[in-house]
Amino acid sequence: MRFLLALRYVNSVALVDESMCTGCHICERVCPTLSIHVLEDLIAHVDAGTCAGCGACVDRCPEYCMTLMDTKEIKLLKVDLKDLPQDKIREICLKAHHHPKEVICYCTGTRAEEIAAAILRGAASPEDLSRMTGMRTGCKVECIQPALRLLKAAGVEPKKPIGYQWYGITRTIWDLPKDMLEKSEYSKFYFDKDKELMDRIVHMGASQK
Amino acid sequence: MTTVLETETHSPRSPLPPRISAYGVKPEYIQKRGFQLPNMVFVRIKDLFPDTPGVIWPPSNPKLIRETTIRALQDIDMSYIKPNHSVNILASHHGFTLLGGEPYAEMLKTIRDVIEEKTGSKNIRLRAGVGLRFRETEEYISSFKLDEYFGPGKAIGVAPIDQGVPIETEVGTLYGIKTIYDANWIVHAHNSDVREVHFHRHVDRAVKPFGMSYARIETRSTYHHNLGPRGANFVARAIFNSQFVRDKWAFACFLLPTPAGIVGVDADRDLYKLDERVTMLNLKTYGKIMTLLGKIDSAIAVLDFACPVPYVFSGGVIFANFCGASTDMFDLDNPLPPYTWYTEAYYDEDEKPMLPETPPPNPHIKAIVMNYSWIGYPSVFWAKHFPIIVVGDWHKQLFDKDPQNIEFMKYVRAVTPDLDSAMKLAHEISRTEKVIVFDGAAEGINVSKPLAELLLEEAPGVSTVVDRELMPKWLKQRGMKP
Repeated sequence: MRFLLALRYVNSVALVDESMCTGCHICERVCPTLSIHVLEDLIAHVDAGTCAGCGACVDRCPEYCMTLMDTKEIKLLKVDLKDLPQDKIREICLKAHHHPKEVICYCTGTRAEEIAAAILRGAASPEDLSRMTGMRTGCKVECIQPALRLLKAAGVEPKKPIGYQWYGITRTIWDLPKDMLEKSEYSKFYFDKDKELMDRIVHMGASQK
Repeated sequence: MTTVLETETHSPRSPLPPRISAYGVKPEYIQKRGFQLPNMVFVRIKDLFPDTPGVIWPPSNPKLIRETTIRALQDIDMSYIKPNHSVNILASHHGFTLLGGEPYAEMLKTIRDVIEEKTGSKNIRLRAGVGLRFRETEEYISSFKLDEYFGPGKAIGVAPIDQGVPIETEVGTLYGIKTIYDANWIVHAHNSDVREVHFHRHVDRAVKPFGMSYARIETRSTYHHNLGPRGANFVARAIFNSQFVRDKWAFACFLLPTPAGIVGVDADRDLYKLDERVTMLNLKTYGKIMTLLGKIDSAIAVLDFACPVPYVFSGGVIFANFCGASTDMFDLDNPLPPYTWYTEAYYDEDEKPMLPETPPPNPHIKAIVMNYSWIGYPSVFWAKHFPIIVVGDWHKQLFDKDPQNIEFMKYVRAVTPDLDSAMKLAHEISRTEKVIVFDGAAEGINVSKPLAELLLEEAPGVSTVVDRELMPKWLKQRGMKP
């Protein structure tokens, strides 16, 4: 069975109950697509054009004043890989130690190559990547590091947003301190074997036509 | 003549009722439960494995949980906590899914009371972390009235997208949730349930929340993408060993579940010592039931519990681990379990594993019937790999609107109006009469009679293999003496 390409369908948008909003800014600070702005009226305003309906604001609003409303039309978030230099896409992925076909967002099924393509199409931050591909708009938790790794591999240093959408890139198995790998009490973490396994994946990506 | 089946099985056990939640359908939609299907029986864990430790819950008895917790804490040094100090009791959502959540809630209340009594501190708070359903612990806090018990504003749910705090560790900067650490002292109030063996592989199990439910997204993403399927478990240890955490560390207090029920409460200032005790208990108890589930040659799995797809329970084992039961997930020499996120990441667009040695999801699961389960966990992997039949259009609508499962229904085999028609279809697809229900029933498993026969027949052999062959290997791999 051939599975359809992963797509991020957006079928809802955040809605603010203005009578309850206190302008606390929390929704603004957790929104992965920077689609919420608390203005001078101290009320949160949602940009429906970029909102991905992820529900981060709904889940963190202390006043319970955000809801998701069905949209009339379903929006698809997807970056086309056509007409982009495939060798460049692969180069970014491999430099970030990702196989181009590796799934980096488990909610949307987005693969590393699509993130690299989005970067080549101008994405300069995790927020841009979320708006273009839908990554980070499912669980909002697990895929921030691949996003930061791929941006770094492409030579892009993202500007940190005002809120706490993300803080920073962390280490990978490829840059653990060497003395750590050799500690006998850490043998149960199988660092060397896991590095071998992940290296194999990356090398398969390098040799794949 | 009385058969073994008649003496060692019982009438099917009624599970806990559906829970009101933002992540599940209204309880009134659940018209029929899996245990009510024809030909079902209940197999007690104790009948499968007579060496199962005695339990203190069930039956329901909060007083016994309180007494056991007080006993576990009586020798724990708390002299460093002064009356003017603040204390955060750290909890996680998962404890509230165990046997209805009351035992865990009672343990949390008791810890609070013991700390107050022993130290004089009046500023004791509850900080309850979550998985991927950010309001979940808020629901439990309200349901168990923990907000009233701890006092106004002192019991809160925290989420991995909340404001963070950098933590310097042996593997560089990682990030915790600020409100987890906003007290003089932290108390790690968790449970020893084996749960996600596919992720933690029972390496530093007791430490895991420091890299997960107490951690920010950057840290959790490091766990699931950066360090490998076994190496990832170092993330929690790195944070726990940091000076930042050690400066606030008070002690750990764990509820001890087994497949048969709660067997006690354990506490220690040395988390690694507690982890060794938990590891020994779990490999023996969960090791046996999980190995036994791996002997099932064909089955329909009925999901019927107030949790997302991977976390519904049967015999103390979550469904995700039944998907991996065709391999030995405790064996650390196996790098990739059939399901884990590293495994999922390495499937190509044709849904074929990139690494040829990747074990397939349990091929003995012939069909899945989703009678009652929650949203809030990316579950499309199961829909791609198993025939899934969803009961009720209300269930479908819930998943269609879940940003974590936007494509789930695309791969589902069918949606039926009720459980009976779903089972009819499942039997046609699977051609098996063996049925196992993941409904969180206490003390045992609701299964069909043919499956009960298989489990009872295989259990003694499994018990011997685990005791004599697997336990020594598992312990050695974790640096422990058999």
